[in-house]
Amino acid sequence: MLPFLAAALLAAAGPAAAQADPSLPPFTLGYEPTSVDERGLWMDADERERRLRDSTLTVRDEALNRYLKGVLCRTVGEERCRGVRLYVVEVPAFNANMAPNGTMVVWTGMLLRARNEAELAAVLGHEFAHFELRHGLGGFKQRRNASDVGAWLAVLGGLTNAGTGDLQLSLLGSVYQFNREQEEAADRLGFQYLAAAGYPSDAATHVWQTLMAEQDATAVGHGRKPKQRYAAGFFDTHPTSLKRAEYLAAEAGKIGDSGRDPRAADYHAAIAGHLPQWLEAQVKLNDFGGTEYLLQQLAADSGWTGELLFARAELYRLRGNPRDLAASVGFYRGALSAGYSEARLYRNMGMSLLRSGQTSEGHTALNEYLRLIPDASDAKAVRALVEQ
Amino acid sequence: MFKFTTLALSVATMAAVPALAGNALVSPGAHKGIAKSSLSATPDGEWNRLGRRDGKFVELWTKDGDSLNKVTFFGGVPAGEPLFREADKKNRPLPKVSGTMLMTDIPTLLESSYRIQFNVNRISIDDQEPATLGGHPGLKFRYTFVSADDEVERKGEAIGAIVKDRVFLVSYEAPAIYFFEKDLPAFHQLAATLKM
Repeated sequence: MLPFLAAALLAAAGPAAAQADPSLPPFTLGYEPTSVDERGLWMDADERERRLRDSTLTVRDEALNRYLKGVLCRTVGEERCRGVRLYVVEVPAFNANMAPNGTMVVWTGMLLRARNEAELAAVLGHEFAHFELRHGLGGFKQRRNASDVGAWLAVLGGLTNAGTGDLQLSLLGSVYQFNREQEEAADRLGFQYLAAAGYPSDAATHVWQTLMAEQDATAVGHGRKPKQRYAAGFFDTHPTSLKRAEYLAAEAGKIGDSGRDPRAADYHAAIAGHLPQWLEAQVKLNDFGGTEYLLQQLAADSGWTGELLFARAELYRLRGNPRDLAASVGFYRGALSAGYSEARLYRNMGMSLLRSGQTSEGHTALNEYLRLIPDASDAKAVRALVEQ
Repeated sequence: MFKFTTLALSVATMAAVPALAGNALVSPGAHKGIAKSSLSATPDGEWNRLGRRDGKFVELWTKDGDSLNKVTFFGGVPAGEPLFREADKKNRPLPKVSGTMLMTDIPTLLESSYRIQFNVNRISIDDQEPATLGGHPGLKFRYTFVSADDEVERKGEAIGAIVKDRVFLVSYEAPAIYFFEKDLPAFHQLAATLKM
């Protein structure tokens, strides 16, 4: 709490003090890194940001970016958010991170998983807290100075410490940049932001609860035991998701608000245009358990829309057991009834039917696809299926 | 401690990678038993066969290095097997070939495998049409993709067929700028001579 207050006071001092006071918060406009370590980190982060800016995987949707920046500003305050550049990167996994120079990166998989604006705000606030508390610098110094075995192992586990433009996919939710105390500090400061901004206070705990449940569902789907570790090991860089969920829930209990996010509709409107593409990327990850859980969660909020039913049908069709193919046809039909109108539904339903041995019904669906888009890029191949 | 652990990690990494057989020149003329299968081809120019094997049923040919131009032969992947050797079988398993697959499922199988194995976050199947592979009815398709590893846009063209529940697939991939068009005729010549 102390760094939060100190930072707030320093922020109030304004940019005039920027030159003189080395302990100014890093979000001050025109802030220059002061020490050798900090300059090094910023230089590296600047280079990564340049790559990120030019990356083909960066989502260049002005409206979405404006909305996300707006949520960040609402969460941490106008003064703080001014020094932040936010980038959305097309990676279908849960992650967000922030570099010491004020670059915030949000993966599309995180946006797909946030249930409402409050959950998004919880994640953005948490990442911003790392930035405000200078965790990138603190972690770097700590690791450099320490000499015991544990600290060296932390170096090996934290090679991506300064990374933000690092697009290598890692395990779901594995944000290994900071150590456990730092994560907990960021959780608590992030929680203060959330409460101050008027978001429902249990949003942060929901994020971790659903992430845990999805990881369990993924494990079961891959034929493994659900394996949430319910206590953090000595070398773990993060508090376990369960521990996070617990202390965040305890904090939320103290406030005891309604738990409803009045801005949930704004969030769904902001991501609506991207939803089909993000769902498609998720469905093709061969993660039946996790994706099914995710779809259930999304449907719990919005009901089974045509879009969600189509995604579910695709998920079952791609797993492809005989019972899955039969289920997929049911979901395709459900999507049609729910108003899904893309022609590709007929093509994919036709393929499910053919694979189930329902040849004439399959042909009918494929012919409907060809009638709707006679010059589709795959029309010749689909026609060949009908004529086989 | 650091050096020791690094060494231990390197050894562990090396142990996980199968021994490399070395690259070899593919001279013009007939070549049988490609990808340890019944596939054969008769290129009229030189290629190089990579010693690296991306899977039990996979063989890689290139002219200038596989990031610039690559022909991948999948020689009869049976039902229940993935296209590639799985990099993280436990956490990120690849989709498997299924006995009920249609030829139009081949592009999706490839797409899904790429998304999982090669961090390909953006990929589109551009068009598909019937074709023959070694005399068997199959599918020719073209695609475009970007891998998060190098963010180069690549194009691909592939011919696939399902013969006795096994997937045979031959693909050519190269960066969309310059390289794809440059070596496409060589791939077409190669593809025209494929036999099974």
